[in-house]
Amino acid sequence: MGRALQPGLMTAPPFIDARGITKRYGPITALDDVSFELRPGEVHALLGHNGAGKSTLVKILSGLVRPVSGTLTMAGEEVTLRTPQQAQQHGVALVDQELSLVPALTVEENILLGNVESPFLQRPGGSRAATREILDGLGLRHVAPSTHVRDLAIGERQLIEIARALSRDARVLILDEPTATLSDTEIEHVFRAVRQVVAQGRSVIYVSHRLGEVLELCDRASIFRDGRHVETRAVSELDRRGLIELMLGDVPEPSQRDGLHEDAGEVATVTIRNLSVPPRVQGFDLTARGGQIIALAGQIGSGASEVLRALAGLVPDAQGDVSINGKDVRLGSPRRCVDAGTVYASGDRKGEGLFLGHSVQLNLVATRLPALTRWGLVRRGAAASVARQLIDVIGMDRKRMRTPVVSLSGGNQQKVFLGRCLEQHAAELLLLEEPTRGVDVGGRMEIHDLVRVAAAHGNAVIFASTELDEVLDLADTIVTMHAGRVVRTLPRRLATSAEILGDMTHGNSESRAGVAA
Amino acid sequence: MTAIALRVNQLLDRRSLPVAQLLLRVITAAFAAILVIGALTTEGFLSVDNVKAILGSTAFVGIIAVGITVIMLSGNLFSLSLGTTTAVCAMLFLFALQAGIVVAIVATVALGAVLGAAQGLLIGSIGANAIIVTIGAGALQEGGAVWASGGSAVFPPKNAPGMSFLADTILGVPFAVYVLVVLAVAGEYLMRRTRFGREIYLMGENKRAARAAALPIVALTAGAFAVAGACAAIAGVLIGAFNQNASLLVSGTFTYDAIAAALVGGSVVTGGRGSIARTVAGAVVIATISDLLLLRGYSTGVQILVKGAVVLVVVVLLHINQREGER
Repeated sequence: MGRALQPGLMTAPPFIDARGITKRYGPITALDDVSFELRPGEVHALLGHNGAGKSTLVKILSGLVRPVSGTLTMAGEEVTLRTPQQAQQHGVALVDQELSLVPALTVEENILLGNVESPFLQRPGGSRAATREILDGLGLRHVAPSTHVRDLAIGERQLIEIARALSRDARVLILDEPTATLSDTEIEHVFRAVRQVVAQGRSVIYVSHRLGEVLELCDRASIFRDGRHVETRAVSELDRRGLIELMLGDVPEPSQRDGLHEDAGEVATVTIRNLSVPPRVQGFDLTARGGQIIALAGQIGSGASEVLRALAGLVPDAQGDVSINGKDVRLGSPRRCVDAGTVYASGDRKGEGLFLGHSVQLNLVATRLPALTRWGLVRRGAAASVARQLIDVIGMDRKRMRTPVVSLSGGNQQKVFLGRCLEQHAAELLLLEEPTRGVDVGGRMEIHDLVRVAAAHGNAVIFASTELDEVLDLADTIVTMHAGRVVRTLPRRLATSAEILGDMTHGNSESRAGVAA
Repeated sequence: MTAIALRVNQLLDRRSLPVAQLLLRVITAAFAAILVIGALTTEGFLSVDNVKAILGSTAFVGIIAVGITVIMLSGNLFSLSLGTTTAVCAMLFLFALQAGIVVAIVATVALGAVLGAAQGLLIGSIGANAIIVTIGAGALQEGGAVWASGGSAVFPPKNAPGMSFLADTILGVPFAVYVLVVLAVAGEYLMRRTRFGREIYLMGENKRAARAAALPIVALTAGAFAVAGACAAIAGVLIGAFNQNASLLVSGTFTYDAIAAALVGGSVVTGGRGSIARTVAGAVVIATISDLLLLRGYSTGVQILVKGAVVLVVVVLLHINQREGER
């Protein structure tokens, strides 16, 4: 449920009042006659599918792109924002999804970087106290302002981004997917910071795919669909189902769990004994069968991702007795692991997954070229037909076949990536890291269905996720991990969200110790 | 003319066009205008002989540039030792002629490929920086060549067996131009239709993804450098036959001219995007400009200056344009 609204909030004049905003990119209308208002002291969620128009609105409000038509009023004054600097002068600060910190500079330097009030001469001394205060407020007590950003964890970096925006005394803070890479404790810090900001009468625009966060944190929500503004509602009037309904236009039925498909041919068998992945993971054991979907549930740093990377052969000094379909696998080389039957889908789809500049077709067949080659030549007909099969499996329009992947939305990119990795009718071990990171609700369900179908056809699936919802939705066996060790393994039907969350955040032993005390 | 007017109108009409793109179009148009005006007003430019001359002066650089493009597409920046490889191969070719023309050609191309493959193996297996490795490898090749030749130029043996066709013209066009055309077509085919070529494009686009997907990184890198070495060797054969002598001086500015051709062609330095055909076009553009300046009587200094300026402007604009395109 949303926070209780502050008195006067509903009646205060809006700080931002955007009317009739339209934006086109070539033939595509990204925003169509959209109006939006932001009141002082509110947390306002922007919701919608990938490509619904929320990112475009954010870019317009922060001066990154200019609308074709429409008026923008800030604090009662009509403004034209040509550059991000102008937006900053009007008190709008954007905390971007893509991290924009400079790793080689210190925390403090990064916070001062790009501040219009100190463009050339920077006197760190004068602002140190202020910086310290902001960092403390974000739960970054342990981070010294002189720490280099490259030495921080990714979650801490996200908080530094927020600190930077706060340091500019912004009246409006735009958070675009701020929690996508954060652990639960870090998310709590972000929430606390957001509440602190609005308590001072400032406003926050909160863009997130995570409906739970929206329900917990936000006062009002504006829902977008296909570039249009659908509705703005007080969050207290809404629940999860209501939100999904507004975002999708209809409510999709939850998919049936298939189990192992009747015509599944060979079925994968995987045993992992005493796997160690320096420096963190030790003594990891797991047995998986075709048809099974196993979640490695843990926060960033729990070791879940490291286990997947080791099984994919991407960690040179990983060791352990791993056997797939009865054959022992020597870890440490991607080639050997792929030959043994593993398929790995990295959580970093842009950096380590897709070939962004290339077409959907080439991306789909990228790992299948050896099988499609005769005498060194790629058989074009065969390649095209495999690509057509895969694009049908992932439910994308065949017209997109020649489109460069970079121009697809995040959700569609992820589908192409998984489409490449999902081999149908095979006894393989699928390793999926954060299979739906940055993907909206609708896309998420489609991707989960793809994974279920792949499992039903005899593949064993192990996925790592930091998101409780996803773990509970997709897995039939849940392995919780904390600080490099398995906390416990339990079937989905016996798991409750509270237990899983407890395991993920504290580890079993610690939480028991807490109870005993 | 109306078509041009229409186009200009269209350009002016799109107010939302990013400045960089507008600039790119303006400069491209100005560039084309200068070229057309220059071509029309320069005596002898629009003649069959001059076209042949342009092609002739493109051939050697073009052949090396075909090879360097494969390296660039593979995401390994470029090699700074290809000019040296060309010179070393020219020397070996003239020396090996005493064993017969076929043996000499095969041995030279093999040497070039091996020299390239060795550098590629090193770069691919330990992830070394291509520029640093190839600088070192260039020095090694130079040293080896000086040591083996005693520091003097190599001349073909007396009564050398029929190598004259290598330096001949056919229908008034130098043999080397035919070789360039064949190499360019074969190279395009290699890159577009074979598994090797496709995987080079993929690896060049995203090396981390290629590793995670278990593409054969070491083999592909070695292969790309081997192709480039072989191209340099073929250029060496032709240059040796043309000059009738070979020393390390042969290398001249080939390395940088080949890189310039690939860049002006619009291939992306970081890999994955571009093509051999574009590189050949880039080489022709550069040769055309040089030729135009030569015909108009500008000094060598001015020619080099303008060439440098053109490369710089084109590369900067293409880079900006590409960044805009990715937004």
